[in-house]
Parts: sequence; C-alpha cells; structure tokens
Amino acid sequence: MARREDRGRDPWGRDNGGLPPEFDKILKSITKGFKGGRFNILIIIAAIVLIWIVFSCAYTVGVDEVGVIRRFGKYVRTTTPGLHFKLPWGIENLAKVKVKYVYTEEFGLRTLRAGVKTEYAPSKRYLNESLMLTGDLNCAVVPWIVQFRIDDPYEFLFKVRNVRATLRDMSESVMRLVVGDRSINEVISKRKEIADEVKIKLQQALKESETGIKLVNVELKKTNVPEPVQPSFNEVNQAVQEKERMIYQAKEEYNKIIPKARGEAEQTIKAAEGYALDRVNRAKGDANRFLALWREYTRAKDVTRRRLYLEAMGVVLPKMGNKYIIDPEQKGLLPLLNLERGGEAK
Amino acid sequence: MRGLVIVAVVVLAIFVIFSGAAFVVGETEQVVITRFGKPVREPIKDAGLYLKVPFIEDANFFPKNLLEWDGEPGQMPTLDKTYILVDTFARWKISNPLAFFETVNNEIAAQKKLDDIIDPATWNFITSHHLIEAVRNSDRKMDIKEVGVDETYKKIVAKPIEIGREKIAKGIMEQAKPKMAEFGIELVDVRIKRINYVGEVQKEVYNRMIAERKQIAEKFRSEGRGESSKIAGDKEKELKKITSVAYRKAQEIKGKADAEATRIYADAYSKDPEFYSFINTLDIYKDSLDKETWLMLSTKSDFFKYLKKYYTE
Repeated sequence: MARREDRGRDPWGRDNGGLPPEFDKILKSITKGFKGGRFNILIIIAAIVLIWIVFSCAYTVGVDEVGVIRRFGKYVRTTTPGLHFKLPWGIENLAKVKVKYVYTEEFGLRTLRAGVKTEYAPSKRYLNESLMLTGDLNCAVVPWIVQFRIDDPYEFLFKVRNVRATLRDMSESVMRLVVGDRSINEVISKRKEIADEVKIKLQQALKESETGIKLVNVELKKTNVPEPVQPSFNEVNQAVQEKERMIYQAKEEYNKIIPKARGEAEQTIKAAEGYALDRVNRAKGDANRFLALWREYTRAKDVTRRRLYLEAMGVVLPKMGNKYIIDPEQKGLLPLLNLERGGEAK
Repeated sequence: MRGLVIVAVVVLAIFVIFSGAAFVVGETEQVVITRFGKPVREPIKDAGLYLKVPFIEDANFFPKNLLEWDGEPGQMPTLDKTYILVDTFARWKISNPLAFFETVNNEIAAQKKLDDIIDPATWNFITSHHLIEAVRNSDRKMDIKEVGVDETYKKIVAKPIEIGREKIAKGIMEQAKPKMAEFGIELVDVRIKRINYVGEVQKEVYNRMIAERKQIAEKFRSEGRGESSKIAGDKEKELKKITSVAYRKAQEIKGKADAEATRIYADAYSKDPEFYSFINTLDIYKDSLDKETWLMLSTKSDFFKYLKKYYTE
C-alpha cells in the first residue's frame, strides 16, 4: 500500500508499473493448488483482473484537495483528504479538485516568470483586455488580477462547462461596469475602491451562475491612460509640482523677511522706551536740581542772586576775547574801535 | 462446468456494455433517445446508468450545464453617432433537449442561432441609446476635474443616466430570450464585455484628453503663480503693518515721555519762574559766550558799576 501512496497522483491506478511482491506469492500458491496447466492461463487472467479491481478501488486524496465520486456518471459523494475506497473504475469514477489552491487569472498582463523580480509580458499585447472606457468617456488602461479558489467542487465540475472562460468574461464585464461609473481621475487614484467593488459584484455574478468559485482577491495593477495620452498626464503632475514649488518659494521669502521685520520693530519700540526713560529721568534730575537750588535760594535770595551772577560772570568773561567797556557819556568811540580792529579782522 | 457459467455471464456483460444497451449519463449531460431517428420517451435529465434497446435505439447526448457564447465585436453607432465596438457574451443552457434536438440539433448550429438573435438585439439597443448609457451604469457622482473640458463634451457626460449598461444588457437579453426558447435554449444572461471606440474616434478622444490635461496643467501653474503672488502680497502687507505699528508705538512712547518730562519741568519751574530764567540764562551765558564774542559793556551795567564808583546807592 505504501507504493500506492507514492503514486497518489493517478486516481484510477491504471498504471500498474509493477506488482507488489506479496501478490507473486499468492499467485504461486494458487497455481500450485491447481495442478492442471489448462486452468493456469484462466487463473492468471482472473488474478490480473482482480488486481486491477483492487487497484482501482483504493485512492488517496491530498491535503489540499477533495475527491468527487460519480457512480455511473452520477455524483454520489465528496471525500476528504486521506485513503478511501470506491467501486472499480467503470462503475465509480473519481475526480480530484484542488480546493485549497489559489488560482490566478491575469487581465491585461501576463507573468512570464515569477520571482523576486517578476517578469511580465509586454502589456501592449494585452491592451484589448485592459483598455476600457471611463464614465467621463475617456480611455483608461486597467490591468488587474483575480485570485480565486474552488469553493464548491460539485458546482465547479458539473454546473458550468467552461469555468475559466466564464470567469474571464465575467471579470472583464464587471471591471468595465465598475470603471464605467468612474472618472479617469478616480480610475487612476482610487484603485482599491474599484477592486473592492469589483470583488463584490464579481462574486455575486459567479455565485448566480453556479461556478463554485470563491474569490480570494481582486487587485488592480498600475492603472494608466493609453500611451499616446501619457505625456500630457505627466505634464499635469509636473505642473502640480511646479505649483507647489512656487508656493514654497513664496513662503520661504515670507519667512525670511517677516521675522526679521518683527525683530526690527521690536528694536524700534525698545529704543523709544529707552528714549522715554532717558527723557523722564533727565527731567526729574533737572527739576530736582532746580528745586534744591531754589529751596536754598529762597532762604537768602539777594545774596545768592548776587553770588550766582558773579560766579557766572567769573566763568563767562575770561572766555571772551574782546571786551570793551564804554562809558555812555563818551562820544565818537566807534571809529576808534574800527581803526584798531581794521587790520586784524579777516 | 461452473467455469463455463462464469464465462457466459462475463460474455453477456461484455455484450450488454459494448452493444450499446447500457449507457452512462454524466452529471453534465442529458440524453434524447431516438428509435430510427425518431425521439421516443422523455429525455433523460438525471445522471446515472440507463438501458436502451441495442442497435434500434440511439442515445443522443447534449450538455446540461451552463454553456458560453462569445459574440464577435461589432462596430455600431450609438444614438449620438459615436462609432463603438461592442463585444458581448452570453451564457445559455439547453433547457428543452427534445426541442433542441429537433430544431437545432447540434451546438455549432446553436451558436449560429445565438449570433443571429443576440447580435441584432445588441444593435437595436446600442443604436437607440446614447453612448453614456452604455458606458455608465448609474448616476454615481464622479470626481471630474472641471477645467479644460469643452462644453459639448461636458453636456454629454453630465447627462443623467436613464438606464445604464446593466439594464441595456438586460434589455438585449429580454429581447433575445423568447426567440431562443423555441429552440429549447434558455438564455441565462447576456452581458456587455467590452465597449471601445473605433480607431478614428479613439484618436479624437485621445486628442481631447491631451488638450484637457494640458489645460489642467496650465491651471495648476497659474494657481501656483496666483498663490505665490498672494503670499508675496501678504508679505508686503505684513511688513508695512509691522513697521508702521512699531513706529506708532515708538512715537506714542516718546510722546508720553515728552509729556511727562514737560510736566515735571513745569511743576518744578513754576515754583519760581523768574529764578528759573535767571539761572538758566546764566547757564546759557556760560555755554554760549566764547572768545569769538565781542562784548561791549556800558559802565552803567551792573557788572561795571564798581568800575566808576566803589559803591552804589
């Protein structure tokens, strides 16, 4: 039986590459039992038929699959992973369906070689799948993938003849339905929203047509506008950046000038405050000095007046260069004056 | 002897199987039994093992599951005279195998029948509706950049949706479905797979998109310029505000100080204005008279009165 598990891929066990050794022994003991050589051939045929029946009765179902059994074409049961028996081939047939495996269908692109750096086939070739009209009657290129697994093996096997074609047609139809209700801007910038809506609508459609498929994921790849239009879209992006740059520069200029002006304003005000302090203090000083002097003066008015006068004269008169003392009763003094200064002045 | 019996049974079984007396109907099949070409009995619709009279009766197998039909993309004008390519697909099943057997007979012929009926229905619906009706499905509000859109196009896009794509497809189906029924075919659904502009129209649309984007780009640039001028204006205004407010405050502070000083001086000097002018005048003499100054004094002045007499009265 260990051999059978190794060859678990073949559900019907038709390919009996070699017989297990124990069967040889059984065969020998049987042939020994019948002495007559006439029966030998018949018995060997019977044995081969028996072995074939046994082998087509046992089958294993892998962990990621289920086995669907039909008896004379009619569905009878679904079996879970493990070793199972059925009636021989011709009576009961087995079909295995991978129910855990996630299949992927690609639209508008094809993966050539998956890997760390996945290679894609040139998307231009699949433009007929991805080119569609948007709600504002523009054209968009929308590549996407649909990931799904088989949820109901019975429906998957028996209800729809070409499940893959159905899935592909439905996906294209639903995607265009959803994109048809969106503007080109939304198609480019709101991929997640579109994918979510497609997933809901597509699942609904697949359920209604009994494909037995459950969607795992719908994902939009890079959506774009058709190639001839792309430069103008890039121009818009550049313009947006240009706009931001201009605003940034203006703000930078603002931020360079205004704080400096604020500082200078502060300085002007502080200077005025300084002036104010200076002015008031000086006034107070002058006033107090005057008051102090005046207080003393009031005590001896006459003498203080005289003293102040004379002190001032004592300072003033020595400083002056030419001093003339004139007796008012004298006449003809002016010519004399001129004569004396005439040569010296300028 | 027993061996012979076994052999006889086996031979009989082989005969039954290979003569066509027994046949298996699969889950995806249905069968019409005919005797010399003439249908007999009810068609078999359930899967299982069945018997018929060998050689005389024939089992005609038809698929029971959902079948596909993929239409050829057809070029047609919409009501607003835009030429588009419409690619439809349909799913159908043989609901009445007997009728199917009698009227169509095989699947290839059925596909032809579907072509003949769905294609004209599609034409009818597409040509009697505006393009927008076939593209859009609802009146969902779209995010459209309003700038750079020319007026006629704007009007086309802004047109409220009366039926939409799904209902057009449904209409096509409803028109085709009764016609298919007489062939024993149940049309399960018809959907529009692809709608695209034909070559010439596509070029025009691309040009319109390019023009539109260029205007949008121009709008962003001018917005940038506007915004930046606004900021520059703000800067100028702010600058003037800051300097003038500072000037005003400074003047106010100085004025207040001047007033304060004036009050202080007035308070002090008003005690004795005459004395104030006396000492201040003396101070000014001290400061302002120097050797460039000529002084002519009369002997009658207070200062020189002693020069003439040693005393005064």
